[in-house]
Amino acid sequence: MSPILQIKNLSKSFGESQVLNDINLEVNKGEFIAIMGQSGSGKSTLLYSISGMDRPSSGHVLFNGKDISKLDDEKISEIRLKNMGFIFQHSYLLKNLSIRDNIILPGFKANDLPREDVIKSGDALMEKTGISNVANHDIKKISGGQLQRAAICRALINKPDILFGDEPTGSLNSSTTKEIMDIINNINSEGTTVIIVSHDSKVAARADRVIFLKDGDIHDEFELGKYKGNKIDKPIREKRLYQWLDKQGF
Amino acid sequence: MDLLIVKNDFKRNKIINFTLLLFMIFSACLAIMSIIMGVQTYTSISDFYEQAEPPHFLQMHKGEIDQEKLNKFMSNYQGLNYWQLQTMINIYGENLTIVGNETYDISDLRLDISLVKQNEDKDLLLDAQHNKIILNKGQIGIPVLLKNMYNMEVGDKVVLSSDGISKEFTIKEFVLDSQMNSPMTSSTRILLSDEEFEDLKGKIGEQEYLIEAYFTDTNEASSFQSAYESANLPINGPAITYGMIFLLSALTDIVMVFVLLLVSFLLIAISFICVKFTINAALEEEIYEIGTMKAIGLSFIDIRNIYLTKYRILAIIGVVIGYILAILFSGIFSNHISETFGGTSLSLLSMILSLLVGLLVYILIIHYCKKMLKNMKNITVVDALVNGNGFNKNYRKVKDGLYKSKLPINWALGAHEVFNNFRSYFIIFAVVLIAVIMILIPINLMNTMEAPEFVTYMGSSLEDILIEVESGENLENNYIKAKEVLEKDEDIENYYEYSRVKVQTTNVEGQLTNINIDKGNYSGKDLQYLRGMAPEEKNHIALSYSNAEKVGKDVGDKIMLSFNNKKLEFEIFGIYQDVTDGGYTAKSIYDFPGASPEKYTFSVNLKDNSNVEDKADELSQLIGTGVSVEPMEEFLNQTLGGVVNQLKTIVLVISIISGFMAILITILFLKLRLAQDQSEIAILKAVGFTYQDISLQFMIKIGIISTMGILAGVIISNLLGGNIVNFALSISGLGIKKVQLINNLLVNYIVCPVLLLLLILFVTKFMMKSISKYDITSMINE
Repeated sequence: MSPILQIKNLSKSFGESQVLNDINLEVNKGEFIAIMGQSGSGKSTLLYSISGMDRPSSGHVLFNGKDISKLDDEKISEIRLKNMGFIFQHSYLLKNLSIRDNIILPGFKANDLPREDVIKSGDALMEKTGISNVANHDIKKISGGQLQRAAICRALINKPDILFGDEPTGSLNSSTTKEIMDIINNINSEGTTVIIVSHDSKVAARADRVIFLKDGDIHDEFELGKYKGNKIDKPIREKRLYQWLDKQGF
Repeated sequence: MDLLIVKNDFKRNKIINFTLLLFMIFSACLAIMSIIMGVQTYTSISDFYEQAEPPHFLQMHKGEIDQEKLNKFMSNYQGLNYWQLQTMINIYGENLTIVGNETYDISDLRLDISLVKQNEDKDLLLDAQHNKIILNKGQIGIPVLLKNMYNMEVGDKVVLSSDGISKEFTIKEFVLDSQMNSPMTSSTRILLSDEEFEDLKGKIGEQEYLIEAYFTDTNEASSFQSAYESANLPINGPAITYGMIFLLSALTDIVMVFVLLLVSFLLIAISFICVKFTINAALEEEIYEIGTMKAIGLSFIDIRNIYLTKYRILAIIGVVIGYILAILFSGIFSNHISETFGGTSLSLLSMILSLLVGLLVYILIIHYCKKMLKNMKNITVVDALVNGNGFNKNYRKVKDGLYKSKLPINWALGAHEVFNNFRSYFIIFAVVLIAVIMILIPINLMNTMEAPEFVTYMGSSLEDILIEVESGENLENNYIKAKEVLEKDEDIENYYEYSRVKVQTTNVEGQLTNINIDKGNYSGKDLQYLRGMAPEEKNHIALSYSNAEKVGKDVGDKIMLSFNNKKLEFEIFGIYQDVTDGGYTAKSIYDFPGASPEKYTFSVNLKDNSNVEDKADELSQLIGTGVSVEPMEEFLNQTLGGVVNQLKTIVLVISIISGFMAILITILFLKLRLAQDQSEIAILKAVGFTYQDISLQFMIKIGIISTMGILAGVIISNLLGGNIVNFALSISGLGIKKVQLINNLLVNYIVCPVLLLLLILFVTKFMMKSISKYDITSMINE
């Protein structure tokens, strides 16, 4: 499988504080990667640096073979718009727009499809994630789970090659977390590469591969293989991951 | 404890606290400055009038005077306190040559120039400190009005050459004249020493008398006027009462103070809106701190006191700085008042009142703060920390529909934000609206006064050249000469001639009173009528607004006029507005046989290819001295020039203030808005919008709200501008009651709106540069 993302000698520092040290990593197309680690280990910084949200202090990030670490604002914005999707711990929807308007916004901005098609695509995503009934609602009037689904729809509206998630279930309860992770696994099974940062081992157990960061270095990696989602597979994966994480001192 | 929190808050929220302080300074400074200006103008003018003591009734007279008859009438009139007779020597501008930095004569001056000596006790000519001026031989006192027109300086030489006599004087003082301080009075007095005045009397120029009367009650003036006119005493010249003297002399400055107070009031309103907006924004920013304090158990009163301590400190600093700035700046703005009326050192009254106003501003600010802080009471910890609802508990539904928009996405987002969240942008709307009103109303007023049509509001018709043959010994000879010259001149298309006769009627109290009527076949034809129209038949008469008030009659009423021992009934056919001759005029096409003319006027129209100014000079040369020949435009310039120039300065100052205000408020608004919208900007960036997109969205938002403010401002200026000006004119008692403001379409609808919009957009663009330094990840994580 060809790599969608190649991270070469990536370092990041804030002032005198070195957060990431010489990271090297390859992510294949269609892969689902979970990044774990203690607080302050550099998980979110790594995610932002490889997604073009932040610039690395040194090193390179190749997206589909193209170095995106030094692109200007316009070019990196276009890649984020058309090829990448983001989900955060909080939904971060625009508060003056309805749910539907929030979702179709990047589609309208990309302008690759006629607006009617973008709206249809948005409606289809809402149908798929179960929030069609709140399409016209104000973001202040719906639950956290519904908001996070809306954020996922927005991230997927331009059919990105890769979906980044920074603690996407961090503020949700366990049943909603399960629903959201089911959606993310579905997206991944349809071919979208997924990279998420999480503290939650149950969430990370859904990934093909888990990267463990410690003090800004990739301390270890763990291959879990493709998630099948059945009642036998799930507890086995979670158990294996717990044992591995235990070894990492997590 | 409170002070420690406040100290840390000042360190942390520098932008918001500085902004707030700035608006508080601005509010306090403007409010205090307005009160200082108002009080200074009032005290300066009233002190000036108290010292100078202008007459309550003034009758000017050219020709012989029967001193004995006058003495008898005055001593018999009940209620008269004092009276005096001042002799003036009338000369022409060409008789005076000024030798200063340049040498020039003042022949272009339209005002009648009179040489006088100082009066004993009343109607005094004063210096800048309001002291009576005493001149020695060789010294001369020039009116402040002429100083400003010709840039004269103390020490300049004035050479008087007339009737074969030549004398040189040195300017000792610039004279404050309580009666003739404005170009609108049409005369000006130059002061000589007693000795030289007596020496020149009878040898040069023509003598004119000022018969001045004083009463216990100034309202007695109109009854006195009726009695005086009925007693067959000298009346060959205009009569003016105290109210008119005061108004004409102080008009320019009263207009200026009126406009400045109006502008200050609007600016204070803006400042308070800004204070309110900034406190609101600051508290919204503090919502997490407030929530945290509530969560750890601080009561509403405890939290309120912390914020109140902060706002009290800011308000005290703001008011004190504002007070100091107001004291410093009021000197600049009251410069013209101090030049025209003298003695404007800061009075105790204005010091006390300005302190009180400062205190009032402080109380108002704290009242605002308390009112807004009260909203905290109802906020729960959950609202503040979890829901992030802010202070606005009134839920407003977000309007769905961006997806229906056909606009480009940045335009759609910008427009959606402004129309759905108008309240957040209201401050820009309000500021732009007020700025437009502040600029357009004075501009329209200036355009109107400068427009050639304005003369028709003033009681004159609109012609190329105005020739006035004033009363005097040579009235008839001058009239015949002028008519002969006009008849022969081939450049003249046509001319209308009017002669002024004096008739008698009864006023509203049933007393006899005089009315000056301009008679002539074309009389009253070109004027703007408030009601009715110009006389069409011989038994028709048109009255000026002031005369109609005086006789208590309206269009359609009958009026009995007496002249040459005859009585004739006329129908009032029209009422027009007039500022000439104190506003008391009338027009008729009847010939009034036997009534002797007191003045002749010719209004002359030239053939198209003629140069008006050259022709006026030529006619003046041909007709000779004693007759005023002037292009109508020049007549307007000299009569209204002072007010128009003053208005030009005001318009310029106001335009600068408005532009500065629009810039300042746009900058501060954007600073606050960008701070508040950091998370929204980060979201947009995260989903793929560029900094350029976000900058464009802000430009669109500010552009839309500013355009709305501009449109509202233009509409309100057009709808209310005329009414505001007419209201001011009607209370001024000038004789003009209604003016249709003349709009300069290019300025009103294109230049002013486009310039203001471009200025605001330019500032917005400049401010948006700062967002490229924003760090999305830290903004998202905040």
